[in-house]
Amino acid sequence: MAGGARILTSVAIGIPWLAGILTAVTRRHSRVIGFAASSVSVSASVLLLWAAPARESLDEALMVLFSCVTLGATLVLPRRDCNSGTIGGILFLLGSTLLAYSTDDLRILLAAWILSTVPFFPKQWFRSRTWRPRLGLLLSSTALALAIALIAAHGHAMSIGSLKGRSPGGLAVFGLLVASVIFRKGICPAHAWVADAADGGPAIPTALLLNGHFGAMLVAKLIVPLFPHTARDLFPLLSYLALATALYVAIRALTENSPRRLLAFLALSQSACILAGLESRTVEGITGALVHWFVVTVSTMGLFGVLRLLEVRFGENLTASRHLGLAEHAPRLAVFFIIFGLALVGLPGTLSFCSQDLLIHGTLASHPQTGLLLPIATAMNAVSVFRLFARLFLGRRRTGFTVMADALPRERWILTVGVLFVVLAGLFPNAIVAQQAAEAEAVEQAIHAPMRPSEVFERKLSSKSWSDSREGTSGMAPRTAGNKSPEKIGRDPRFRQRLRSASAGKRDVLHAGTKSSRSLYEPATVLS
Amino acid sequence: MAYSQTMLVFVVLAPGVVFSVLALLWLVGWTPRERVVSRITGAVFSASILALAVIIWRLAATGAPAVTVTFGNWFTVHDYHFPLVLMADHLSLPFLGMTLVLSGLIGQFSATYLHREPGFLRFFLLLHLFAFGSLLAFAAGSFDLLVGGWEMVGITSVLLIAFFQQRTAPVENGLRVFAVYRACDIGLLVGVFAMHDWAGTASFAGGLPSLTGNRASIVCLLLLLAAAGKAAQVPFSGWLPRAMEGPTPSSAIFYGAISIHAGAYLLLRVQPMLVQSGLASAMVIAIGVATAIHGTMSGRASADAKTSLAYASLTQVGVVFVEIGIGWKAIALVHILGHAMVRTLQFLRAPSMLHDYHKMHSAIGGELSPTGKHLEELLSERVQLWLYRWSLDHGHLDTILDRFVIYPLMRLSRLFAKLDSMGLSLSGREAPVPRHSAAGQGNM
Repeated sequence: MAGGARILTSVAIGIPWLAGILTAVTRRHSRVIGFAASSVSVSASVLLLWAAPARESLDEALMVLFSCVTLGATLVLPRRDCNSGTIGGILFLLGSTLLAYSTDDLRILLAAWILSTVPFFPKQWFRSRTWRPRLGLLLSSTALALAIALIAAHGHAMSIGSLKGRSPGGLAVFGLLVASVIFRKGICPAHAWVADAADGGPAIPTALLLNGHFGAMLVAKLIVPLFPHTARDLFPLLSYLALATALYVAIRALTENSPRRLLAFLALSQSACILAGLESRTVEGITGALVHWFVVTVSTMGLFGVLRLLEVRFGENLTASRHLGLAEHAPRLAVFFIIFGLALVGLPGTLSFCSQDLLIHGTLASHPQTGLLLPIATAMNAVSVFRLFARLFLGRRRTGFTVMADALPRERWILTVGVLFVVLAGLFPNAIVAQQAAEAEAVEQAIHAPMRPSEVFERKLSSKSWSDSREGTSGMAPRTAGNKSPEKIGRDPRFRQRLRSASAGKRDVLHAGTKSSRSLYEPATVLS
Repeated sequence: MAYSQTMLVFVVLAPGVVFSVLALLWLVGWTPRERVVSRITGAVFSASILALAVIIWRLAATGAPAVTVTFGNWFTVHDYHFPLVLMADHLSLPFLGMTLVLSGLIGQFSATYLHREPGFLRFFLLLHLFAFGSLLAFAAGSFDLLVGGWEMVGITSVLLIAFFQQRTAPVENGLRVFAVYRACDIGLLVGVFAMHDWAGTASFAGGLPSLTGNRASIVCLLLLLAAAGKAAQVPFSGWLPRAMEGPTPSSAIFYGAISIHAGAYLLLRVQPMLVQSGLASAMVIAIGVATAIHGTMSGRASADAKTSLAYASLTQVGVVFVEIGIGWKAIALVHILGHAMVRTLQFLRAPSMLHDYHKMHSAIGGELSPTGKHLEELLSERVQLWLYRWSLDHGHLDTILDRFVIYPLMRLSRLFAKLDSMGLSLSGREAPVPRHSAAGQGNM
């Protein structure tokens, strides 16, 4: 079974890369090659998901999602953009992203992380006028590389599975990983590069880059499993930053007139909601974040796709500063745009209604005061979506343009599939929500898993008792009844025995504690 | 599933299914003819009215208090669940009946009124979506489900305000209404969360969540925010005249009948909780009184028929709020039903009202004489003038909202835009400026 999974993973990753090289060499039939390679990736990812055990299928689900949106991108890409360079870059990005999702090795994760940014450095491919996108990507890669180097320097293994719950490298590595998330995800104050990238870069490939959600992936796959206890104490800081980003960017979007930048702000604000949900440390919030991940990916891809289709039809100087009345020429594109737009911000009947519901409950439960920022930010985003829709599609018809320029059948069908996904998944959400809830419970258990006695002892030595640390985070108390509370751990005879022996000497406990105690208090296996 | 339960499911889902099928077919390339659309609409609402009649008859025959359909949970996460419960009780049945009768009526009226209008299909699609949203909100057995219907009503309302999309004013007014709706809906979302957190449920199929004291007050005040926004109560009344930009049939059904009474329905639904909170009850009464006074003043100074009718409608809804605050639940319900029917008729007659007046003047051989002295003549001229200006500007509510909420928010947004481009300026590079105009020209 493991051998079969390895082969399927290799196919899902390798075929897009090979197809990318083929496209670059032959420079012909780019769309066909891109479509075929993405289809193979989708098929392989679906088989992997089907074979994956419950509670350990997040990586596979994300692989399916990303390969599907890449497949959609190859179809919706307008003919002007459909050259060997763009398709090659998209396929390269697909392979790198799937590699990052699927790997268990830190070195490979770093390689995939860097490879996914490579297409955005050559000026021929990524024509951003500002330095910020490249700097953002560079800093995120550097921070991750330093973190992994520190882990290696401490003599730890490079497998994520073997490092779970061991806090390798301590606070320094944790800080570097969080910095990497901040730069890659575009969390305030490192948010400006996202809008610059969307404004200057190729629309659909840049949307794919943003929708890899590598920052959220790093949180779910690396930070939470490796640093559950540090995460428990320090996550509120990142959570506040994420909520502040969601609100800051939502306010920023209110007066933005460049459609691409505005969409980037909306995507960023909603992506920050994903991060806030992951850090809410409640099953509802984490599930909402994982479901919202799907929604944001599909909706923003749809929005950027429709925008690019409008740009190739009506020129690239579209603006939200005045009404363009494009619905007269492209009514179906207008409908796709408003559905994807409102689906991003919690339209009832779409999947985001469920994800927003869970996100709001989760964040309000963990942060009653700051959690209020989330519905406020979402409300502002909804206003921005409607403003952009109204300015682009409504108002007086453009003079001098009299023909219909609506979606072509190829574009129409693939956009309809996207709409059907967000709507049908919204009407019958339990399939997705239940699966993500299982994953979320694993993540939440990892965060709330009790500390190993050695860690408890270290804290006692530094005069920071359990109760003190709990008081400090009293507003974010774990909600899972199944986990052992610190008080229960304190009453545990085995734990008391270890503390008594600890009084004989710290070194003994630290040495003796690890093996036997890990079997008692080791966090649940997550996200292999 | 019992007979009446099947009927209830049909009543709620039928307009939603029609909307989904017609929209999907249009999206992939098929546009139905006007006659097909109007006949489907007529058939669906007629069948739904019959189904509702069967439900009422069954309830009367069996003496049961309500028909409840439980589909289990829509989704479940850990100890949080979203119950999917439909319920038709003595409160929701009148609202369901009102929605079906008026939606069917508006459908038939609009088949002629909007004949050969470019947005004919769009109007009917939105009418079906609106009916589905309203029926879902009124038949919901939990506040979670009510939120879904509530939001749908809001979005269709906005899209219908912007129905005449070639003109700028309706589009911009739609945007403004949308902003007010979304801001006020935060109250509903947080209120539902508070119910889940404090009572463990937001379902009212088996009775309201038991909350008392401060918790009841907080939840009621949050729901009052949502209700006041949807019902255009003070201080959110400024959006109502803007909403008159939509086609007359949609104005009739939204702002004369159903949408504007949705807020009152929400308060009626939480009335047992409202009774326990003196503060919330007082707030409901105060808002109702203020709205009634504001509505009657502004309506008298309005120059056009639809705005005048909208403010008359607002006045009555203000009175309904007062009745709910006092606790006169039955009177409020009768008031709502009577008012909705009369106001819909007035709105539908509004386009031909001038013609009727001309006809009457022609028949009697001149204009009607003034009705005599008005109460306002008892006031000094200076006060009269001040009141007139105050009423003409609709109580300055929009101005206050602009000055203290919208403009500061826009200024903050422009400040953020400057901060974002600061790094680029310092490095000597060109800041990313939108191609057509500088950032910061957007407005609501």
